[in-house]
Amino acid sequence: MFDDQEIISTIEMVKNENLDVRAVTLGINLFDCISHDLTVFKKNIRKKIIGHAAALVETCDQVGEKYGIKVVNKRISISPIALVGASFSSAQMVEIAHELNDIAEIVNIDFIGGFSALVERGIAKGDQALIDAIPQALAGTQRICASVNVATTKAGINMDAVLTMSRAIKKAAALTADKDGLACAKLCVFSNIPQDMPFMAGAYLGVGQADAVINVGVSGPGVVKRAIERNLAQQRLPLGRIAEIIKRTACKVTRVGELIGREVADILNIRFGVVDLSLAPTPTVGDSVGEIFQALGLSYIGVPGSTAALAMLNDAVKKGGAFASSHVGGLSGAFIPVSEDLNIAEAAQKGFLSMEKLEAMTCVCSVGLDMVAVPGDITEQVLAGIIADEMAIGMINAKTTATRIIPVPGKKAGDNVNFGGLLGKASIMDVPHLDLEDSFVEYGGHIPAPIHSLKN
Amino acid sequence: MKKMIISVLAKDRPGIIASVTSDLYELGCNLENVNQMILQNQFAGFFITQVPKGLSCETIRQELALKEEDRGLTIHVRPLEEETQAPVSEKEIFLITTSGPDQKGLVAQLSSIISSFGANIVNMKAVFMGGSNPNENVMSYQVLVTKEIDAPAMFAALKEKANELNLDIRIQHKNIFDVTNKI
Repeated sequence: MFDDQEIISTIEMVKNENLDVRAVTLGINLFDCISHDLTVFKKNIRKKIIGHAAALVETCDQVGEKYGIKVVNKRISISPIALVGASFSSAQMVEIAHELNDIAEIVNIDFIGGFSALVERGIAKGDQALIDAIPQALAGTQRICASVNVATTKAGINMDAVLTMSRAIKKAAALTADKDGLACAKLCVFSNIPQDMPFMAGAYLGVGQADAVINVGVSGPGVVKRAIERNLAQQRLPLGRIAEIIKRTACKVTRVGELIGREVADILNIRFGVVDLSLAPTPTVGDSVGEIFQALGLSYIGVPGSTAALAMLNDAVKKGGAFASSHVGGLSGAFIPVSEDLNIAEAAQKGFLSMEKLEAMTCVCSVGLDMVAVPGDITEQVLAGIIADEMAIGMINAKTTATRIIPVPGKKAGDNVNFGGLLGKASIMDVPHLDLEDSFVEYGGHIPAPIHSLKN
Repeated sequence: MKKMIISVLAKDRPGIIASVTSDLYELGCNLENVNQMILQNQFAGFFITQVPKGLSCETIRQELALKEEDRGLTIHVRPLEEETQAPVSEKEIFLITTSGPDQKGLVAQLSSIISSFGANIVNMKAVFMGGSNPNENVMSYQVLVTKEIDAPAMFAALKEKANELNLDIRIQHKNIFDVTNKI
């Protein structure tokens, strides 16, 4: 029998601290669907995805009910469309996006990730067609997420791709100007993209993966925050002890994710992949990464000390996850998406968190410049420069970084935007010198891989 | 060798277990399982023991009563019959926890529903400190649910009753408590 404290603490995690399974993501390999005939290709992917995913939502709900832990999002990641659809034109890629959107509706999931290309060493024909299709594909659909990997520690940064993506982002924003550039909220540019990430918008199924796999994304910033607050209320603790508390809490949360993910995988008779423990906030009080910084004694995320606090938080979360499970993957750390976190959005709006500080913090977080709304008149060169800077952080530090930047057409720094639902709302952040047209990003070519990539 | 189960009730104080087990040792008994609990200031202990041939329940009860009568212990002894293990069907344990304002009949009303579905409560704790603070009035049942039991219907009935009694109810598979508490 469990003691009273064990029972109450577990119930509190669910009831008052927003512990949930943020995403069960079914990865589906589409390489056996390849055809030069678009009609055949669409028929093949429809049959395969529906075949694997028909029972996904029902199963997740059933397992969530059994354990009293809600599986919030059920999603699908697929092989990069730029690879499996390499023979198709840009217009045909848009058709594929619509087909995938229909399939997502049929299986009742909110997002399919994998409208993606991997171009860190160069842009192939299929990659170019996909990148060209991204603005229209995202503007015309609701459930498609796109990602393009433009850099890795082994390959360096493809600067042609960086500028191309800057233009694609601007175009996607323009096509959804009536929705504050919403299409860009479904588009990530990556350095060192993981092959097994369950979180959107960057999820796709890597080429080294099984035919179908269940990956689980667990969150829990509210649980971590409350654990810190509870312990600090009892006594003053040194930071090493607080890191230990975060680690232990992360361990518990990861075990919850693995338990549920494995059961879903067993029922669906699909291989279990990884559990990704990432402190991923939602625009809800008590489910915020920003609030953890306040629990740690900082006025707001973004003030001096924030990078050190985030480094400690990210590391403790990874250690807790690694202790809990031998199958930890994806990003596993702390996300700092501005609009998706009420507290971070407030810090930015009040001037505690600037673009420059945000970029500095991405050196130690698990993703990068995420859900950052910027003025719509930012030049493509400045936007490309921000992307290149972020990619360089990932490349040099051998970690994943990404940008999900939304240039909001017709709006300026300080204006408000509301993307709705989990994407949240925020003030547009000030980007210094946003009208520059510097030629650096236009030289193109490659920034070579760093010396420490030569490990073999 | 035959077995017996001995229950001991007493006002709690140091030395009850030492005293009872010493008595049983002197009678030649070999303990197999012991469990005890303290509810408020009352001790309750259960002892399953192998008993030497020729020693009856009544003899043991009398011997223990003789030794312990001045110590305020209430002792009950009865034989324990070995059961042949019936084939075990698929079973799972759920924790049903409620909190909410205290009122008479809470345990009776919820446990009756569990019983009506044929499910067995394998462990239970309840603390009612009275008043309306939900965290001071908590019931927790560990319920064994076999494949034959209509678990969704039982859970729905429990939720409906809890709602009627103004209780917050959580029904969760035991494994979730294992993974969050036992590493």
